[in-house]
Amino acid sequence: MNAMLRETESAIAPLAVSGLVHCYEGSNALNGIDLALEPGSVLGLIGRNGAGKSTLIRAMLGLLEPLAGEARLFGEPALQLSDAAKARIAYVPQQPEALAWLTAQQMLDFVGRFYPRWDKAFVTNTLERWQIKPNKLLAKLSPGERQRVDLIRALASQPELLVLDEPAAALDPVARRELLREVALRAGESGTTVLFSTHIVSDLERVASEVAFLHQGKLLMRCSVDETKERYARLWLPARMSAAAPTQSLSRRRHDDGSLSLVVERDARGAWPEAASLAGARVDALGLEDLFVEVAE
Amino acid sequence: MDASLLNIQPTTSEPIYRQIVEQLRRLIAGGQLEHGELLPSVRDVAGFHAINPMTVSRAYGIAESEGLVERLRGKGMAVIAMRKAEQSESHRLALLEPQLQALARHANELELPAAPVLRRLTKLLGE
Repeated sequence: MNAMLRETESAIAPLAVSGLVHCYEGSNALNGIDLALEPGSVLGLIGRNGAGKSTLIRAMLGLLEPLAGEARLFGEPALQLSDAAKARIAYVPQQPEALAWLTAQQMLDFVGRFYPRWDKAFVTNTLERWQIKPNKLLAKLSPGERQRVDLIRALASQPELLVLDEPAAALDPVARRELLREVALRAGESGTTVLFSTHIVSDLERVASEVAFLHQGKLLMRCSVDETKERYARLWLPARMSAAAPTQSLSRRRHDDGSLSLVVERDARGAWPEAASLAGARVDALGLEDLFVEVAE
Repeated sequence: MDASLLNIQPTTSEPIYRQIVEQLRRLIAGGQLEHGELLPSVRDVAGFHAINPMTVSRAYGIAESEGLVERLRGKGMAVIAMRKAEQSESHRLALLEPQLQALARHANELELPAAPVLRRLTKLLGE
């Protein structure tokens, strides 16, 4: 039944933004962002601290009004979302603060009433596995525990669109792996669309189908994780050959000894730029983290 | 076969789907996986390693198109083992190609002539 519903709705992107612009006191946080998510995809948003990841997420969800541009969720304007659309979305902010006067259990019981597909068993099991005392006041929990409770809240609602802002920050390695497993399986099997921001690149490499780099208010590149690894590499040229450097490159860094590091891209036939085949030149495959560091520096 | 037999390194520059195909090739060529043995389900692999199920499906699809495994209806993927004698030498040598290329590159970077490298390699190979 659900699969059929999704079939007919597949043309509508769960999340789409166009021309988003926003700024804080003169500094441009978002500088014209266009992005759409396919149903069932897992997009990892990488960016340095202060790159505007949280601002972008909040604008996408209609939690802040951008200076220009538009965000749509399941085809509806994010700023005037219907209750039906809201029930299909779950968002976990970096620092959850709501309903702090309730205990974890009270909050989860209360919130659960608003969601038609609330998974109560998941709540009970996960509270225990993640070692959270259900009867402790949310305000008395550590920030990490607080975020874990909020992740449970988000996952228990069985959302069609799950948005997580730096979810891994508060989790220990075991809980983090468990969260990733949950995200991966839900995307693969229930077709949940997931957007998560992180600066822990290895998390993203496990579960993301696509990656987007947010840098200085713009999305620098956006492609599948596999394709990113196969398409880009670092080309190193010794000083005497730096004149042969291709003019087109994603980043360009000159070292103290005059040698040059460039991030280059394969052409349409899959070949590296010509300079790569010169004697003395080196082409090194790049993991995502290296690529990110090269491009964001 | 158990999902834990696969070794997934998400941070390397080699995409995860290729790591899986590569390991299946080796495990089958090396005889660790026998003819008819079932691969773990996509869900098991994705769950155990916390990776995207689509990545696993993609790897299985490639393994199928290479004739390493076949899809058995209702059962999953089963290994098609070739007896070692049936595999051509060139086929088995092709599996070593990435390591050989890396070795050649290192030797060149160290400006080592071929002869001593080959002597050492011959010794390691136990001839």
